Parts: sequence; structure tokens; C-alpha cells
Amino acid sequence: MIVSSARPRPIVPFLLVALPAAFLLVFFVIPTAFLLSASFIESDGVIMTGVWTTQNYADLLSRPLYQQAILRTFGIGIAVGVVVIVLSYPLAYFLVRTTSPWRGFLIALSLSPLLASVIVRTYGWWVILNREGAINSGLLALGIIDQPLALLPSSMAITIGLSHALLPYGVLTIMASLNGLNPNVERAAMSLGAGRVRTFLTVTLPLTWPGIVGGFLLAFAIAISAYATPAILGGPGTQVMATLIRSFMVQALDWALGSAMGAILLISSIALLLLTSALGGRRA
Amino acid sequence: MNKGPWTLLKVTVAVIYLFILGPILITAAVAFNGTNRSFFPPRGFSLRWWGEAFAPQWVQPLMFSLELAALTAVIATAIGVPLAFAFQRYDFPGKTIVRTITLGPLILPTLVTGIALLQFLTVIGLGRWLGYWALLIGHVIICLPFSVRTIAISLQAMPGSVEQAAANLGAGPLSVLRYVTFPIIMPGIFAGMAFAFIHSFTDINMSLFIAKPGQRPVTVAIMSFLDFGFAPTLAALSILSLLIPLVLIAVLGRFVGIGNFLYQEQGRG
Amino acid sequence: MAEPALKLDKLVKRFGTHAAVDGIDLAVAPGEFVTLLGPSGCGKTTTLNLIAGFLAPDGGHIQLGGRMVENLPPFQRDLGMVFQDYALFPHMTVADNVAFGLKMRKVAKGEISARVAEALALVKLDGFGARRPNQLSGGQRQRVALARALVIRPTMLLLDEPLSNLDLKLREEMRTEISSLQRRLGIATVFVTHDQGEALTMSDRIAVMRDGMIEQIGAPAEIYERPATRFVAGFIGSINMVPAKVDAIEGGAVRLATPAGPARARIDGVSAGAGVTLTVRPERLKLGPGAPADAVAWQARVERVVYTGARLEVQLALADGSSAMAEATNDGSTRFTAGQTTTLWFRPEDAWVIRESA
Ligand SMILES: Nc1ncnc2c1ncn2[C@@H]1O[C@H](COP(=O)(O)OP(=O)(O)OP(=O)(O)O)[C@@H](O)[C@H]1O
Ligand SMILES: [Mg+2]
Repeated sequence: MIVSSARPRPIVPFLLVALPAAFLLVFFVIPTAFLLSASFIESDGVIMTGVWTTQNYADLLSRPLYQQAILRTFGIGIAVGVVVIVLSYPLAYFLVRTTSPWRGFLIALSLSPLLASVIVRTYGWWVILNREGAINSGLLALGIIDQPLALLPSSMAITIGLSHALLPYGVLTIMASLNGLNPNVERAAMSLGAGRVRTFLTVTLPLTWPGIVGGFLLAFAIAISAYATPAILGGPGTQVMATLIRSFMVQALDWALGSAMGAILLISSIALLLLTSALGGRRA
Repeated sequence: MNKGPWTLLKVTVAVIYLFILGPILITAAVAFNGTNRSFFPPRGFSLRWWGEAFAPQWVQPLMFSLELAALTAVIATAIGVPLAFAFQRYDFPGKTIVRTITLGPLILPTLVTGIALLQFLTVIGLGRWLGYWALLIGHVIICLPFSVRTIAISLQAMPGSVEQAAANLGAGPLSVLRYVTFPIIMPGIFAGMAFAFIHSFTDINMSLFIAKPGQRPVTVAIMSFLDFGFAPTLAALSILSLLIPLVLIAVLGRFVGIGNFLYQEQGRG
Repeated sequence: MAEPALKLDKLVKRFGTHAAVDGIDLAVAPGEFVTLLGPSGCGKTTTLNLIAGFLAPDGGHIQLGGRMVENLPPFQRDLGMVFQDYALFPHMTVADNVAFGLKMRKVAKGEISARVAEALALVKLDGFGARRPNQLSGGQRQRVALARALVIRPTMLLLDEPLSNLDLKLREEMRTEISSLQRRLGIATVFVTHDQGEALTMSDRIAVMRDGMIEQIGAPAEIYERPATRFVAGFIGSINMVPAKVDAIEGGAVRLATPAGPARARIDGVSAGAGVTLTVRPERLKLGPGAPADAVAWQARVERVVYTGARLEVQLALADGSSAMAEATNDGSTRFTAGQTTTLWFRPEDAWVIRESA
């Protein structure tokens, strides 16, 4: 960047960032670091004793209830990542390739759920899936079942709800990678005799693989730390890490376990981020 | 050319749109139930639930959310503009670190950022900040990346030669900012403000931990009421709270031309 | 001579360790049109940015009208600049764009509108004042940029590849328009291009740049006909270059030994035994009989004839197997066929010797 004056003024950027940086340091960096260290400190309720320990992690990883919640969280995360990719790929492909005059509107429409709180989006799924919900009343009316199905609470319902909530992120990531693909590459494949489907499978799909991986990891990362959807569509038998954190921090007031669980989430997310940028780096 | 696969794709896409929009439309329909249960299809017809959504019990958190989101958006923009300029225009020691901690909240789980803030404020004895002030701080932290990135994108998109041209025509650095740079990035600033507003308004993961009774955003209010059942009032309320960002986007899109930014900004998410 | 409008003195600009501008000396006389010509990345834009003040030099001096300006910020240099992408202010109308420099100079309102109208008329855009830049064609934008630069009555005009975004026909039109405007206003101009056609047709003098240095500076005919280096010879037009050795000196001419055969040419100040390069432009090479007594004549074989319409390009193989090209007017009198052996000749005064060995 060429600066608009001949003389450099190195003081300017510091003036610009000093205040915001101090704010973030105090209220974001230090609290996060504090949380990480608190996860290694013994505590009695919300009072920390100051004794270093790894007991918090041992507790989390040894009790079946917590073990299962952690496994369930990651299981749901993987399932959500897969569903998001499977649904968002065709949609993104269509949105990038279509010549319809409605294209802009269709893109906006596919992203519009981002404007709604995840609660709004999950509420609809509760209406559809509950005992008296749309699916059960539909199936009952058609005589396919004679007893309502127990679709809620379940990991399946959580997966559906989260996939729905995170679909726009998949669409955006894959659209970005399809947009980066030179359409002449596809045309070249077709001119060499590959049909649309063959071209897609042998050219488009491999070339957009980084977008697929990126979209998957993004959906996975958001899904494992989601609270509202598991809280609404799940129940006591389908606890995930986020709902456990909530009960540690607010109900049981066991901050040591809450911090440790938070730290696991935090570290998983950072690991995913590094993984994503490593994969992204290979693409570039 | 063989059109078969394309037709198949169109059908698939139609089904996916149904999946995307279905739950939201169903929620809207449920709010018209004649009974006090959230049936779908609705049984009977009534506007009662919409009326109840305007009871003080709900208007109060709705207004609280609006105020919080507006203030958050203004603060996030006020500190986002200098940050975006610094990141986009200057090289300085520590730039990578400052940028990482600015954009960090976008990538780290908001829930964790929330409990970290809860724990930190309590431990240093500022537990009385929980509620309004803690919410404002937390929301600024998680909304800042949206304004910074949007403003940075609009700065980047502006050809540098335009500012050079202004300087060449005799405009000093402040005149360049005032007559050229700011007018050109203004849509980006407004777009960033809108994103910050929407992100704050729709947040639950941060507010969940640091709100307190009487100072709760509408999402937290709905969430805690859900424990008592899924009344159609909540459906009506959900739709109302969806309309607010929608109207905001429509108005801004009309008057400031931020339409392109929705796609650009989120595309980098 | 009057004070030069612009004087660059050993100007240096480094990016990291790489010197993008590596010691440039240049003087532009008042009213003169000087072109910086060179391949991509040779430092043309950097030189212009140094003059305009967008970059600070790492060494050397810049004088505008006799005044040292290295420490003046761009907004105090009073230069009109036209950018490659025009850099029109997208949020202002054409009239506001043109008025901008005058507003910054706090010119009175009434005078501003008069001068804006005058400037728009100058570039034949009367009546376009209310439009936005995005409602203009490429050529019109270019004219607005020119009007905006000229309206402030700058001490000189800087143009960075202003024509490269236009299509061929418009480009040729704007060439003539810019040159005639420049002559009419008598404003000293530095014009940057990598298009040799533009450089040859528009300039009073051309400075050929390479790797941050000026390789040669001179009038278009001088650059074309008496290139100082192999680089300049090769960069402008096409040329035949044959490595040669000075055999003997005979008065104003020298006798040369080349792999293609002996030759004679005019050159001063070389000593026998020196390695040089003999150059002849294709249009000065003749084929077939009719060589005058003093001509240099070599045997050659026709390899291929390329038909370009008005001219024929004849590709030849010389005695040593190296290739050469001759250009003939397609007047219907000459017929060449591939494989045919012929005589290739040129008059010594049509050859030019470069003091660089191959
Ligand atoms: N801001 C910069 N930072 C680092 N290197 C630069 C910068 N600007 C230019 N350079 C380098 O300096 C050299 C000269 O660049 P310059 O833009 O002056 O070339 P140019 O002659 O204008 O080329 P073109 O015809 O492609 O416009 C190039 O090698 C370029 O990579
Ligand atoms: Mg250039």
C-alpha cells in the first residue's frame, strides 16, 4: 500500500489500535487465558482453592455421563458436517451455475436464515418433530402409524436442527470455492468428451474438495459448541458439551468442571482451525 | 447438451429450499393457532398470540435486545474503523497478534468466550457488572470481527489510486479521508454496523451466561420460557424477532446499497 | 535554455533489496513530451510515483521548475496526473470530479464552474457534467481524468499508461487527441507506456528503461535508427542483429567480419579487433539483384514468406545458418518462394553498429 504522504508516520497505527487492543486484552484474551488455567485449578463451587490439579479433566474423562456427552457432541458434529455438505453442495452448485434472473434473490433466500436467531430456527423443528407435531399428525392422518413416534428428544433431532441452522455456512464456503473454479476447465473436460456428470465427478468435485473440507470443518466447529438447539431438541438423555457447561456454570456451580469442559471445546476449535488453515494452505 | 442432470439438480434444489424455509414458515403458521398449543397445521385461527407477544413481559426483552444490539453496533463500528484502517493500511510490529485477537471471537466458540467473561468478572469482583455492562462488553467482543472485516473489505476494494488522485489534486491527508475515503467506504461501514447489529440481536451463546433477570435479551427470555412449554406466543415472538433484522437489511439495502456486502462478508465466514 | 520543468538527479528507489529505480537522470524541458518506455516491471510507474510524491526516494533529487520537491507531500506538488485505471471518484459526478482540485485550492465558486465547463469542453465532454463515472464509456472516463488533471493548470502532466485500457481504435484516436491537446497547452508531460507505437508517434523524446535505469534517451527517430544498446534495438520494432568483429578501419567506415560474410558500416571510435553487433532493420534489407557497387551483399536462402497484407515478411537463412528477416512492400513485383536462394543486400549507411558484442 502506498501511503498518501512521502514521510512514514509509524506512530499512527499504534494510536489506531491501542484502545481496541487494550479492551480486547482485558475482556477477551485475559479471561480466555484465565479459563484455561482455571481448568487446572481445584475449586470448591465457584471459589478457587489455588491448588494445581488435573483432577478436573480426569473427572470429565472418567465418568460415563460426561464421556458419553463428549462422544455424542463429536458424533453430532460429524453428522452435521456431512449433512451440511450433502445439502449445501447441490444448492451452491446450482446458485453458482444458474443463469436465472432470480439468482440474486435465490442466493439471498438461501442465506436468509442467518438473519434469524438459532432459537427461531430450532423452534420450527420442535413444531415439526414433537409428539403432536407436523410429522406425527401427518403420519397418523395417513394411517401409516397408529402411535405417535418419539422423535424428540434425540440426537437425530439435534443433528437435523443444527444442520438446518448451519446450512448457510456450507453454502457460502462451497459457493466461494466453486466461484474460484475457472468454468473453462469444466468446458474443456466436456469438449474432450466427458458428459456433465462425468465432468462433475472427475473435474469439479476434486477441484472443490478444499471447499468441501472447509465447509465440513466450519459446520463441525460451530455444531460442537452450539447450545440452543441441543437444549431445545434434546433432553436429559442427550446431553452435549455445551449443555453440560451450562449446567456446570449456572446450576451445579462447579466452575472447575465447567472450565475444563470449556477448555476442551476451545482446544478442539483451535485444532480444527489449524487443520483448516493447513488444508487451505495446501490449496494455495 | 443433455439437460437431464440439470433438471434433476433443480428438483433437488427445490427440496433443499423447502428444508431451509419450511421450519421458519411453520413457526409463522403456528403463531396463528386457535388453541394454546403449537399445533401444525394450526387448529383454528387466532391473532391472540400476536397480541400476547406485545405484552410487557416480551416487549421489555425485545426492547432490551434492540437497545443492546444498537449500542453494540455503534461501539463495534467506532472501534472497528480505526482497527480496519490499521490492518489494511499499515504494517506495524504486533499486527498479526492484534489481528488474531480481533478476529478470534469469530472462530472460538462464543459459549467459551461467554463463560470466560462470566468467570473473570466474578473473580475480579465485578460480578455486579453481569447483566447490562457485561452483555455490552461481551457483545462488542463477538461483533467486532464483523465490523472490522466488512470495513477492511471495503477499504481493500477501493483502488488506492483514487486516494492518490485526490492527493495529487491538492487534498491533504485529512481532506482525502473526508472527501474521498469515507464517502467511498460508507456503505461498508453501514454494512459492518448492520452485521454487528444482527449478530448481537440473534446471539444466545454469549448472553446465556452473563444476562441477569430484568436485563435479558429476547433470545434468552424465549429460551428460558421454553422450559415451561412451547406456547404459540413464542412462535409469534420468534417471527417478530426475525422481522427486525430483515427490515434493517431491507432499509439499509435500499438506502446505502449494502446488498453486495451480505454475500461478500459472509462468504469469508 | 530555460529552467527544465522537471529534473531527476540520480533518483533511486528500493523495495527491500531490489532497486526498482536505480539511478535515473532525466530533464524535461518546458512544453516537452517525454515518454518512459520499457518492459513490464522496469520501474516506470515507480518513477512516476516518485515524481508525484506517492513514494519517497531512497536517493537522488527531484526538481520541479527548479524547486527541490523530494520533501513536499503530493498535495503540494501541483502536478496533474492521469492514472492507468483513471481513479475517478465513483461517488462524485463528472463535474464534481473535475472540480475537486479547484475546491482543494479554495478557488471561488463562480470561477470553479467556469473552469470546469472549460475543461470539459477541452476534452469534448460538454454536457456530461451531471453523469457519474459508471455511466461513461472507457474513452469518456479517460477524458474526464484528463480534464480533472488539466483543470488545476498543473506545472506538468504525468500520464501512467492512460491508453492501455482502451480498445485499439479508441487508443489510436486518443493518441492524437492527447498529443494535440498537449501541444496546444504547451504543458511539459511525462508519459508512461510499454507500447512502442504510442511512444514513437507521440513523443518529443523517448527514454527507454530497463531494470530501473534509463538505457537510452533521444528523439523517436534516433532511438529507432541509432539504438545505443542491443536491448533498445530489440525492444523497439524488429531488427536483424549479427555479431561482428572490427577487421579494419577505413576513414569513416569500418570493415567487419561476420559469420554471414564480410560487411562494411559507418561507426566512429572503435578499434580493430573489437566485438560489436551489426544491426539492420528488416525494411532496409533488400533481396535479389540491383545492389549498388558499395552495398554489402550476402547469400541467403528463403525459408518462409509471411503475408501480412501491405507487406511481406521474408524469413531467411544466412550462410552460417542463422536467420534474418527482410520486409518488402507487397507491390506485386516481387515473388519469393521458400527454398529459393537469393542475394540479400543493404547499403552500409542503412546498417547501424552497436558497441556491444553478442
Ligand atoms: N510497493 C512495492 N513493493 C515492492 N516492490 C514493488 C512495489 N512497487 C513496485 N515494485 C517492484 O518494482 C519494480 C518496478 O515496478 P513498476 O510498477 O515501477 O513497473 P512498471 O515499469 O510500471 O511495470 P508495468 O509496465 O508492468 O506497469 C517491479 O519489479 C515491481 O515488482
Ligand atoms: Mg506500471
